[in-house]
Amino acid sequence: MSYTVPLGPYHPALEEPCRIDLDCEGETVRGAEIRLKFNFRGVEWLAERKNFIQAVALIERVCGICSNVHAMTFCRALETLAGVDVPERARHIRLVVAELERVTSHLLWTGLAAEIMGFQTLFMACFALRERAMDVLEGLSGNRVNYGMNRVGGVTRDIADPGAIRSEVLRLREETLKKIAPVFLDDRTVRARCAGIGVLSGDLARAWGAVGPTARASGVPQDIRKAAPYEAYGRLDFHVPLETAGDVNARVVVRLLELIETYGLLEQALGTMPGGPLAGPEFVEIPAGEATARSEAPRGECFYYVAAGGAEAPLRVKIRTPSFVNMPLVAAMVRGANLADVPLINASIDPCYSCTCR
Amino acid sequence: MNIGRALVGLLVFPGLLYALPAAWLMLWIERKARARMQGRIGPPFYQPFFDFVKLMAKRTVPLPLFDAVLTAGLPILAGSSLLVALGLLPVFAGQGGFAGDAVLLVALLEVPALMAVLAGFASRSIFGQLGSAREAVLSIVSSLPFIAAVLALAVSAHSLRLVDIAARPAAAVRWPAVLAIVLCLPLKLRINPFSLVNAEQEIYSGPLTEYAGPRLALWDLAHGLEWVALTGLAACLVLPLRSGRPARDVALTIAGSLGLVVLLAVTASGTARLKVRQAGGFYWSWGLGLAAAALVLAIILK
Repeated sequence: MSYTVPLGPYHPALEEPCRIDLDCEGETVRGAEIRLKFNFRGVEWLAERKNFIQAVALIERVCGICSNVHAMTFCRALETLAGVDVPERARHIRLVVAELERVTSHLLWTGLAAEIMGFQTLFMACFALRERAMDVLEGLSGNRVNYGMNRVGGVTRDIADPGAIRSEVLRLREETLKKIAPVFLDDRTVRARCAGIGVLSGDLARAWGAVGPTARASGVPQDIRKAAPYEAYGRLDFHVPLETAGDVNARVVVRLLELIETYGLLEQALGTMPGGPLAGPEFVEIPAGEATARSEAPRGECFYYVAAGGAEAPLRVKIRTPSFVNMPLVAAMVRGANLADVPLINASIDPCYSCTCR
Repeated sequence: MNIGRALVGLLVFPGLLYALPAAWLMLWIERKARARMQGRIGPPFYQPFFDFVKLMAKRTVPLPLFDAVLTAGLPILAGSSLLVALGLLPVFAGQGGFAGDAVLLVALLEVPALMAVLAGFASRSIFGQLGSAREAVLSIVSSLPFIAAVLALAVSAHSLRLVDIAARPAAAVRWPAVLAIVLCLPLKLRINPFSLVNAEQEIYSGPLTEYAGPRLALWDLAHGLEWVALTGLAACLVLPLRSGRPARDVALTIAGSLGLVVLLAVTASGTARLKVRQAGGFYWSWGLGLAAAALVLAIILK
C-alpha cells in the first residue's frame, strides 16, 4: 500500500517551518519532496534599505543559533570593500565568539538528535551543557543569542579575563568527554539508530556541493577555516575531523570530534590573546564596489556577497547559508529509508530553516 | 470459585479500589523517576490525577453518534478488560480462582493493544494508522514470548490455574519464564526502548493522535491500568512467597509492582528508541529464547 506522509510544516521533531512529503510503501520511503520558505522574512531586501551600521545588527538576526557568524561574515565583506585592517586582538575575539557559537550549535544538534531518537536523558544532558556554554557567551557579550560583538573594522567588546573563560572551556571539554561523547559513541541503542542510515556518498556530496559536517562525514575535506583561513585561524593549530561512512553515525562522530577540536582552538586563542585595540575608526566609509566573504559556520560554509554604490546603504546583499545547500540532499538520503529514520536523517544535516528562509 | 472472594478481587484489591489510585501513582512514579534521571524535578504526585480531571472537563468537537460511541467505547473496553484481569491476579495463597483463568488473563491483557489498533484506524489519521500498524506488529512480537513464558509456567505447575502458576513451578523454569515476561513489559507498556507506537518525533501520538478531552483521559487511565496489571502479574510471579497472611501478600505485591515501575522507568531513561525490525530482532532472540528455554525445561522436568 502506498501513501503520502507529511512531515511538517510543523513537526515535533524539528519545530521549524519545513514540509517533507514522503511517498511511502509500508514504512519504506520511496521518494520525498521538500518544501521550504514558509517564513520568508526579506532580510536581504531590508538590509538594502538600512545603513551599514544598522545592516550589521539586522544581519545578526538571520539566524538564532549561528547569529555571530552571519554578522562576522558580513563585516568581513564590508572590510574587504573598505580596505580596513582588523586589529589582531579583535581577530582573536572574533574567533573565540565564533567557536563558542560552534559549541552551542553542536550541543544543540546533539541534543536534538538525542530527542529525535527518543533518548530524552541524553537530550537533557546536552542541553544542560549547552546552557553553560551560553552562560560563557553571556558573560562575554551580555547576550545569550544575538551577541552584538561585531562591527566593521573590529569588535565591540573586549574579553577582560581570558583565563576565566579558558578554565570554563576546559570544564566544558571535560564534561563533553565524560557525559556526551561516550553515550553517542558506545551506547548500543544509539548506534542501532544511527549506523547505516541516511548514507550520502562522497561523490554525491561533491556533486551536490554539500558543505560542513555533512560533507566531512562523507569524506569531503571541506572546511573554510583551513581552505581559506580568516581571522586568527591561520595561526592556530587544529585539524579537520573526517569520516568516510557518510551515514548519520558518521555525522555524529564528525560533530563530536569537531567539538573537541573547537575546545582546543578556544584554549589556544584564549591563551595567546594579543594586546592592542579592539577596532579601527568608529565610522568607516564604504566605497563603491563588490566584495564577498565566506566563513565556516557550525553547519558549513556561509557565503556573503555585498555590492555598494558609495551611498550609506548597500546596493545588494546576497546570503548563501549552509542549510540552503544541504537541504536538497535530504531527498536523496531518505530514499529507501525506513519512515522511523526520516526525522533523524533530516536532522543529521543540522538544518536551519530560519537561515534558509531569511 | 468463591464468589465473595472474586468480588473482593474485582472491586477492592487488586481490582477497582486499588487499581485506580495505583494507576495514577505508577504513572507518577514513572514520570518522576524519568525526571530525576534527567536532572529535572518532575511533577508532584497528584499530577496524573489532575491531568485526568482536566482532560475529563474539556469540551471536544462533537462527533457523529457512531464515531462518538466507538471512540469512547474503545478505551472503556480496554480499561474494563484490564480491571477484570486485575481481579484475576493470584495475589493471595488461598485465592482459588478457576481452571483456565490463566488463559482468560492472557486474553484480557491483549485487549488494550487490540483496542489501540482499532482506535488508530478508526481515527482515519495517517499518523493514527501508522501507529496502529506498528501496534499490531509489535503486539504480535511481544505476545509470542509472553504467552510462551506463561505456558512454560503452566506446564511446570501442571495447571492452568493462576494460583498454581504463581506457586508451583520449579525454580529452573520460573526464573527464565519470569524474565521473559519482564522483558515483554516495556513493549507492552510502549516505553523506551520500544516506544515506537507513540513515537512523538515520528508519528505524533500514534493511534491516539486524534484523541482529546475525556476520550484521551480514558486512554490515559487505561494505560495506567496496564501498568498496574502487568507489573502486578510480574510481581505475583516473581514473589511466590505466599504467606497466607493477606496484609503481607498485599504489601509484597504492591512493593514488587512499584519496584518494577522504577526499574522500567530507569531502563527507559537510559535508552534510545529502537525501530520495529530491531525490536522484533530483540524479542525473537532474547524474549522468545528465554521463553522457549523455560518451556523446554518445563517439559523435561515434568
